[in-house]
Parts: sequence; C-alpha cells; structure tokens
Amino acid sequence: MAETRSCDEELKAAFPSIVQDDAAQEEFSHFLVSKDLLPAITRYLHTQPGLQGRLTVLWAVDNRPIHDTHGLHYLFTLEPSHRWVLLSTELAGGDRFFPSITPHIHAAQWYEREIRDMFGLIPQGHPDLRRLIRHEHWPKGTHPLKKDFSWDRVLGRQQGEHRFRRIEGEGVFEVPVGPIHAGIIEPGHFRFSVAGEPIMELELHHFWKHRGVEKLFEQQALTAAVPLAERVSGDTTIGHSLAYCQAVESLMHLEVPRRGRYLRSLFLELERLHNHLGDVGAICNDTAYALPHAHCGRMKEQIMQLNDRLTGSRFLRGVNRVGGVAMDLTAVQLAEIGDELDRIEKDFSELESIIASNASLIDRLETTGVLTKRTARDHAVVGVVGRASGLDQDLRRDRPFAAYDELPVNVVTYRYGDVRARMRVRMDEIHESMRLVGEIRLKMPQGPIAVKPSHRTQTGDWALSAVEGWRGEILYMVMAGENGTIHRCKVRDPSFANWPAIQQAVLGNIIPDFPLINKSFSLSYAGNDL
Amino acid sequence: MFRILKKSLKTGIVTGQHPAAASTVDASTPAAKDKAKPFRSSLAFRAVDTGSCNACEMEMNALANPVYDIERFGIHIAASPRHADALVVTGPVTVNMEQALKDVYEQTPDPKIVIALGDCAINCGVFKGSYAVTGPVERHIPVDLRIPGCPPRPVTILNALQELREGTGFHKD
Repeated sequence: MAETRSCDEELKAAFPSIVQDDAAQEEFSHFLVSKDLLPAITRYLHTQPGLQGRLTVLWAVDNRPIHDTHGLHYLFTLEPSHRWVLLSTELAGGDRFFPSITPHIHAAQWYEREIRDMFGLIPQGHPDLRRLIRHEHWPKGTHPLKKDFSWDRVLGRQQGEHRFRRIEGEGVFEVPVGPIHAGIIEPGHFRFSVAGEPIMELELHHFWKHRGVEKLFEQQALTAAVPLAERVSGDTTIGHSLAYCQAVESLMHLEVPRRGRYLRSLFLELERLHNHLGDVGAICNDTAYALPHAHCGRMKEQIMQLNDRLTGSRFLRGVNRVGGVAMDLTAVQLAEIGDELDRIEKDFSELESIIASNASLIDRLETTGVLTKRTARDHAVVGVVGRASGLDQDLRRDRPFAAYDELPVNVVTYRYGDVRARMRVRMDEIHESMRLVGEIRLKMPQGPIAVKPSHRTQTGDWALSAVEGWRGEILYMVMAGENGTIHRCKVRDPSFANWPAIQQAVLGNIIPDFPLINKSFSLSYAGNDL
Repeated sequence: MFRILKKSLKTGIVTGQHPAAASTVDASTPAAKDKAKPFRSSLAFRAVDTGSCNACEMEMNALANPVYDIERFGIHIAASPRHADALVVTGPVTVNMEQALKDVYEQTPDPKIVIALGDCAINCGVFKGSYAVTGPVERHIPVDLRIPGCPPRPVTILNALQELREGTGFHKD
C-alpha cells in the first residue's frame, strides 16, 4: 500500500494541476486531468521506469442527458505493482477534439480510432485516421454510441472503399485473404504485401462482425443483460458473463457468497480447459499433423459433454447471473468432474509426450511468428500471447476475483514468443487448470450460491471489472442509467488488445506459416468487432 | 512410433460416443428434401459466418472431430463456395457482412441449398433490431433449412443434415 501511495504522490508531484478523486482509492487511483495535459501525463506514466504504465483500456462516454459532456477515460496498469491508475477528462458539449496519445503510446491506436467512429470525437495528431469499425460504405456522420443515435436506426449505404497501406517496388505484390476464409472460421480480412515468400507487411481489416453490442447493452436493464454478455464472444461465455456480473455487483454493492465465487472459478477453469485443448490440437493441425488434433478434439468434446451434463449447456450458458451463479453442483457432480478431469489429464500427458517427441513439428513451431517482449509490451498485449513473450501478468494472481484470493495460481511464462512458446503456455495452463479444479473441489465451501440483486443504483455511477478469461484479460465498464438501466457498457475483449500485435509477429515469416501463427494467437473476431 | 500406436489402440473407437439428440423433429420441408436429392450420397458445404458469436462455428468444427466424424456420412467442408453444394450460414447478417453474403451466394454453383444455422441466422437472436444488423439470412438469400438453437448441439446439426438428405438420421439407442 505504501508503494502505491508513493506512485500517486509521484504523479501529483510531477503534475501539480491534476486532481485526485479519493472516492476510488481502494480499488485504483483516479485522477481528473485537463485534456491538454493528457499527452504529457500518459507519456510520463508509460515511460517512467518506476511506473511502467500499460494502457489497459481507453473508453469514451456520452454523458448526455446527465451532463452535456463527453468523458474520456484512460486506464493504466502499473506493471511493477499491478495497480490501476485511471485518468479522466471531460470534453464540453460542442468540443469534438482531443489530443491523441498514439504518437507515444502505440497501444492507443485502435482505441482512439474506435472512439472517433463511435462518438465522432477526433483524436488530434493520430497518425492514421481511416475508419476502423464503420466500414467505408457507412454514411457520413453515423456515430452509433452517441446518445442521439437511435439503436435500431436503419443505415443507408454510400460509395467508398478501404484504402490499404501500399508497399510498392519491383516484385512486390499483395495477397488479399478474407473476409470469408477456407475453414470454419470467423470473417476478417488480411492484406499481405510480399516479395517472394516472406511477408513484408500485413494489414488487418476487421470489424466485419460488428453487431452493435455496446449499443444493445444500453437497451437492457442491469440485471437482464447477462445473456447478451454471454454472446459477445461465444467461446468465452463464462469469462464475459463473469466480468459483466462483477461490474454490476460492484455497482449494486453486492457480496457474492463464498460458494458462488468458488463455483465461478470452477466454471471459468472448465472453459479455459476446453478452449486450450482445442487450440493445442488446432496448432498441430495447422502444421498438417492431424493426430494430436484428433485426440485433442476428442478430449475437448469430453469436457464440453461434461459441461452439458453439469449445466445443460455445452458452453456453460445460463450459469452466471447478477449476484452469484444460477446452478449449484452436488457432491456427486463434483466427484464426477474430478474423475473425468483425472482421466483427461492422464490422456493429455501421454499426448504431450507424443507431441514433444515429434522433431518435425517442433522444428516448424520454433522461431515461427516471434513476438518479442519489447513489441508485446509496446502493443500492451495481454493473456496467453503476452505470457508466451515473457510478460508476467495474470489477473487471477494480480487482481484476484471470484475465489482466486484463496486459490494461488502459478503463472506460466515463456521467453521466446514463438508459436511453440504459445503452445507451451497453453499446455502448462491445462495442467494448472486441472490442479486448480482439484483444489476448488477440496476447498468448496457450503452455503448459498447467490444473493438477490438490489435494484438501487445511482444514475451515473460506474464500475470496472476484470477477469482473466482463457484468452487473457476481459474488462467491463458498466455505467448505470436511470431506473436500473445501462447508460454505457464498455467491453474490452483481450482480442482487441492483441490483434494489432499479429501484424508484427508475422513479419519475415512466409505466408504458409500465417495460419499457424494466427492459430497460435487464437483471437476472437466476435469479441474484437463487438 | 510405438507410443502413437499404443495411444491409438488404448483410445479405441470413440465415434458415436455422444448423447442422443433431445428432439427428433424433422425440420426439413418436402421442397427442401427434393432440392437435396442430388446430394444424398455426398454433400460439400461451405460455412459462412455473418456475425455470429462463434459458438455455432465451434459446434460445426466439433462435427469434424472423431466423436461426430461427419465425413462418414459423405458430408465434407468445402474450402471455397465454388466447390460447395450447400451454404451453412450463421449469424444475424451484419451491415458489414451483407455484401459478402450476397457475393458468396452468387458464387455458389446451382443447384445449391442454404441452411440457416442457429437462432441468430433464423431470427437475429439477441442482436435483433440493432443498427448494425440487417438480417435475418432469409431477408437476403432464400433459405431451405433452418436449424434452431443457441447454439444447436452438434448432434442436432448432424440429424438435421441427415434428415434433409432423407437419410436415416442418427439417433443413438
């Protein structure tokens, strides 16, 4: 605590004009700053050796009808202490401009373009102001998250085409891929510039799946939006619904009973298991090594069938609700989980030794798609991808939620940042999750699993919540509107932070290795596009 | 080598080790069945995601795992719409994907079947009404078969495809 205080003092000493908001002291430090100071103070947070601020999420709020202002909020995680520092600034009614921090904090690039698309606020000094979410055929002046934009408006179409970055020169040609891909994968467009085999440049053109999720949240009551959160990214049902529920619970000042928190951790680990198993198999399959894919597919299926038997949903839908969990597990079911996972762990260990002894596979994975620690940090990469590049971060340990304050997690990190490191992180996390599930079963307390949600929330109150899903950190910011509605819900899937980094990881690799690198990142399009 | 063989022998055959489908309602209309006649012994489908949450895709991928092993029924996943007999469309058709869906439909050779998979493709599901959604699928292209569910279980998809082709369906005893 003394250390965190000193961070606050240091910041205040460097920038005397900032105002600390003491209300949020416990969870994080909150400072109100003027917009002109933003570039200087964010740069200080990011580059000062003792602070090493990582831009965690950046969001805007249209405060109408409460105030005629736009709020901009910059959340930083200080790497040494894992403490959150939130900087907030307000733009008065007619003010559409704010200074861009992208020139010195690379990780802000997509957030600022997103704010420009969704709110019509212009980040001055941003090096790339092309549209991001609104593809070029969207009519001018459509900014969906503004309060005067109706959620069910029918959009027209205008002429327009995306301008890709061009690399020109003798023998350079472009390879367009997508939006519809060869496998059963989500849509996204990749534009490669190559000279011969090696990739000189990759540009992503995403947001094909933009469904207006954040606007849809604003049409819901606080307690009723869990099914929508479950469908932000279907493979992360528990991660997203848990992050959403936690945010609403802290708005309503609810304390989830201990058994409810343990069950949440249990389901989160089950979700991690089936996704990691699928990814390990799919990485092998992308090198045309089909055997582990078949075995992993089988084990993944066993866990999904287990999910189905436990909760009636293969994706664990309907498990989380505001105040706790909706279904309890009996002692018999807990024993069943134990037996099943013991069997799968043994099964998987045998497969691991088969995979590890295949020299041609390892040769293909090593030094492929290297994401260096430096690049990973500059892009504020999170989750599995970050840990494979040596970033020692895991919210289960750093900011314990659910039952993780009583369940110490061994965080797996590798240094090399190649495809093999990302696969190894997943393999080790499979074992760690199995161990955690075992510990949860042993420690599972008795008692109620949920509390009743209260309906008293203060208009304009907001809460942040973070969950380490299987991909990485999922962040939700929920702001209450009038009568228990949602004024604003900011969703940050780990994919949004990690996608730009893939553009760096593929450089110098050959195009046939791209699917492999992409699979080792295993990012969501739905969670990214929202 | 021996390790691999031992593993395969120990694992044995897992195909069919899944619970039976909850409902056995035949969703295919006679017209759709008629259209599916040429594909009775072999059907190549192309998956098109127009904005789903990825759960439907995961269940389609599960169809290819050893437990469901969809290829034993002569059903393949084609890499290009030009090689496909059927389009399996998921998601509520976002504004950004609308044109791509129409293009894919054009590029698929006739005769072709369109299957709307999951609640989103059938009625936009939880995304209904959003400014960014222009669906459902049948607003843009004709749909022959609807497989409801959020997401439908792999066995449900398998059954629906089998019934469409007037196969026996796959019900475990």
